Amino acid sequence: MIRLPWMRIGGWATLALVLLFLIGPFAVIIGAALNAGTVPAFPPQGISLRWVVAVFEVQSFRASFFLSVWLAVGSTLAALVLGVPVAYALARYPVPGKEAVRAVVTAPVVVPGIIVGLALLRHAVVPLGVPVMEALFLAHTALLLPYAVRVVAASLENLRPDIEEAAVMLGATRLGAFLRVVLPNIRNGILAAFILGFVTSFNQVPVSLFLTGPGVSTLPIDMLAYMEFTYDPSVAALSALLALMSLAVVLVAERLLGISRFV
Amino acid sequence: MTDGFLALSGLTLAYGGTVAVDRLDLAMAEGELVALLGPSGCGKTTTMRAVAGLLQPRAGTIRLAGRDITHVPANKRGVGLVFQSYALFPHLSVFENVAFGLRLAGTGRDEIGRRVAEVLAMVGLTGFERRLPKELSGGQQQRVALARSVVVRPRLLLLDEPLSNLDARLRLEMRSELRRLQRELGVTMVYVTHDQAEALALADRIVVMREGRIEQEGPPETVYTRPRTAFVARFMGFETCLAVNGGRLVAPDGRSLPLEGAADAPALAWRPHGVVLGRGPHTARVLGRSYLGQSVEYLLETDAGPVKAEAAADAPRFEPGTTVAFDLPLAAAARLESAA
Amino acid sequence: MFQDRRIGLALVLPATLFLLAGFVLPVLVLLSGSLQGPGGWSFDAYVRFFAVPLHQEVFWRTVRLGVLVTLTCAVVGYAAAFAIVNTAPSARGKLIGLLILPLMISPVARTYAWIVILGRTGLVNQALQGLGLADGPVRLLFTETAVFIGLVQLFLPLMVLTLVSALENLPADVMSAARVLGAGWIQTFVRVVLPLTREGLVIGGTLVFTGAVTAYITPAVLGGSRVLMLETLLYQRVSVAGDIVSGSVIAAILVVMSYTTNVLLRRIAAGRGR
Ligand SMILES: Nc1ncnc2c1ncn2[C@@H]1O[C@H](COP(=O)(O)OP(=O)(O)OP(=O)(O)O)[C@@H](O)[C@H]1O
Ligand SMILES: [Mg+2]
Repeated sequence: MIRLPWMRIGGWATLALVLLFLIGPFAVIIGAALNAGTVPAFPPQGISLRWVVAVFEVQSFRASFFLSVWLAVGSTLAALVLGVPVAYALARYPVPGKEAVRAVVTAPVVVPGIIVGLALLRHAVVPLGVPVMEALFLAHTALLLPYAVRVVAASLENLRPDIEEAAVMLGATRLGAFLRVVLPNIRNGILAAFILGFVTSFNQVPVSLFLTGPGVSTLPIDMLAYMEFTYDPSVAALSALLALMSLAVVLVAERLLGISRFV
Repeated sequence: MTDGFLALSGLTLAYGGTVAVDRLDLAMAEGELVALLGPSGCGKTTTMRAVAGLLQPRAGTIRLAGRDITHVPANKRGVGLVFQSYALFPHLSVFENVAFGLRLAGTGRDEIGRRVAEVLAMVGLTGFERRLPKELSGGQQQRVALARSVVVRPRLLLLDEPLSNLDARLRLEMRSELRRLQRELGVTMVYVTHDQAEALALADRIVVMREGRIEQEGPPETVYTRPRTAFVARFMGFETCLAVNGGRLVAPDGRSLPLEGAADAPALAWRPHGVVLGRGPHTARVLGRSYLGQSVEYLLETDAGPVKAEAAADAPRFEPGTTVAFDLPLAAAARLESAA
Repeated sequence: MFQDRRIGLALVLPATLFLLAGFVLPVLVLLSGSLQGPGGWSFDAYVRFFAVPLHQEVFWRTVRLGVLVTLTCAVVGYAAAFAIVNTAPSARGKLIGLLILPLMISPVARTYAWIVILGRTGLVNQALQGLGLADGPVRLLFTETAVFIGLVQLFLPLMVLTLVSALENLPADVMSAARVLGAGWIQTFVRVVLPLTREGLVIGGTLVFTGAVTAYITPAVLGGSRVLMLETLLYQRVSVAGDIVSGSVIAAILVVMSYTTNVLLRRIAAGRGR
């Protein structure tokens, strides 16, 4: 490609501005989190950890953090348990009504999350008495399923089917062949799907909006509610902690599997 | 054909609507080595996959050692298969690839170590135990695939072009290793190849396939010297096949040459070195010449179309573009039953 | 070995049934609610919904913001993607990591930052007053501009990432070839780069547009009840006013928007690509 000096400088300048726009706000949050004053401000008026400490003292944040973690782990695992066989079957076997199955399995992508939440509230929780927690779990699993299928399908694509046949010729059963030669080779894809699923569920708001109630609330929903009534730096502190947690996840995932290939 | 160690009868194999193998019958004795020969796409791999149990037949039966195994799952047949595509396990080392079948069978650690070492020595890969498949050349991968199938000592071993990626020297070496192994273990083998020389050298019997059917089968020498059809003749190196009709030799496109003498067959075939150059009743134009080392090959344009001829390297040369006399002697011809 | 349809069916059945019962069915029932009138099927609910001026305003604002955010992301996205593709591969990996990072961070946290930046005592207001450009605090939060900024920040990485992979797949020489043939930079872009990266642009555009149109957190936090978008309006109608009919109308509008964008843009990418 032909590059002129001004293009190069222009390119770097654009990139710097874009990154400042995308990443800069997190610096602001971290600054605001370390604020000593009583309102979120940047630059901070004196440095202190009081608001970071305060986050851990808010009872509802603690409860909803653990609920969010369990919800994310549970729904991601459920999505994988349901989704891996689908990705595998679509890649290997003739499936009756293949296109219909594909359509159903990708449907949650085109339906906005808030609608899933509302639909489940109106037509499962209220009339059938499904507990809110179960409905939340169900909604998150449905939301994550398409991504689990897609990420696992992508790693199956690079795997030839004949190695399973070779395993069977050496005495393995179908299941044995899957466990011994397919699973180890798509392990990274499954791990990537797990990380992406966890993050997606943990950060999810619209799906959960209608499915939370007294005693059952996820962390982001709790944060939104807290922000509505209180204007102090504790949300900034919590946001900063979450950003750092995500940073750690991204770094570990990138080191482990090069997760950028799967996004 | 229902007796024998392996017996295929009326075997019909199809992918969706396309029939790849059509009512195939084949019987093999225990310890026999049969070479399956035929052009690309004739159904060799398909047949092997059915015998292996990876492809369910549309019709027909497969019997092994007196038992109907048509519906026995692939992992219970005791049949080994060396894949045309190697199909090595990418996440396992050479050692673990080879040990895979033994581990499944619950073989003890010491014995696994011993047998893997033994078979890796046989294929010349001692010292490669810890490599991953992607760190091996194509030929080395092929040898791992072979070792992996041999080490579990199957009753029947199917080899799908197992030596196609090796260089000429290694191929000869492996060929005799295979032959030795086959004798020592008494394992019955079906050996798929494109290479007629390999088939002739290895096999007890040759089976030539054409479009999903068996065109001819028999001992190597018979198939080599007495092909029954032009199809088999061409495979065995008879480059010139002409029908006999009203005292003339007729090419498929209808052009013809007079036939010297009387032939008692519907078609005749010649190898390039059976064609006499420089004398004879016919003339042809020399279209091309290639030097083959021991001999020189000419492509002639005759009244009955192109004919390949071969002359000793020290014989007088003919220049392309000139006209040359030639003969198709009856004594050198194979008598075919069919011109197709 | 992989011929048995029964195994294929058995493997896809649990997930398919799960989604049919737990997702497709409830959503369809909800959507069909919007087509129920007093005497059977009707568009009554839609007519009544759009008769409210506020609802019309929110609908058009949602479409407008969706289009503006998508266009902005496309323009900035191309510039950033070009710059990234032109860097050395090692730097490229790090830059892509920096783009993925915000995607992994809670959107609530990402949006919250803008409160600190755009608030009455925020960074921008401090700067404006410090430079003497404003006497008192300027109202920046709870405006359409704030929502626009928040949405662009949320979705720009998706656009840049898809454009980077589209540009990476460009044959290395086409740009130089076009330049050698005398095309200007703008011409090269319009005639060569745009057609060859159309598919990436369409995928990125679909992600950004549907994402922006169905956003909840950004308008909720940065727009409040003054700058409603369809999802915040939906939440308000249903949980504040208990107006399920309007809720299901909005739901249907959102699904139709998201679905047609997907189908339409995919067709554009497939039909006229290459
Ligand atoms: N999975 C498949 N689906 C559909 N048709 C197939 C499939 N595999 C093979 N065929 C067809 O069946 C026929 C026989 O193929 P097969 O692989 O058995 O040929 P082959 O003799 O092994 O050829 P080669 O020497 O090239 O390996 C061919 O016409 C091929 O196109
Ligand atoms: Mg083959």
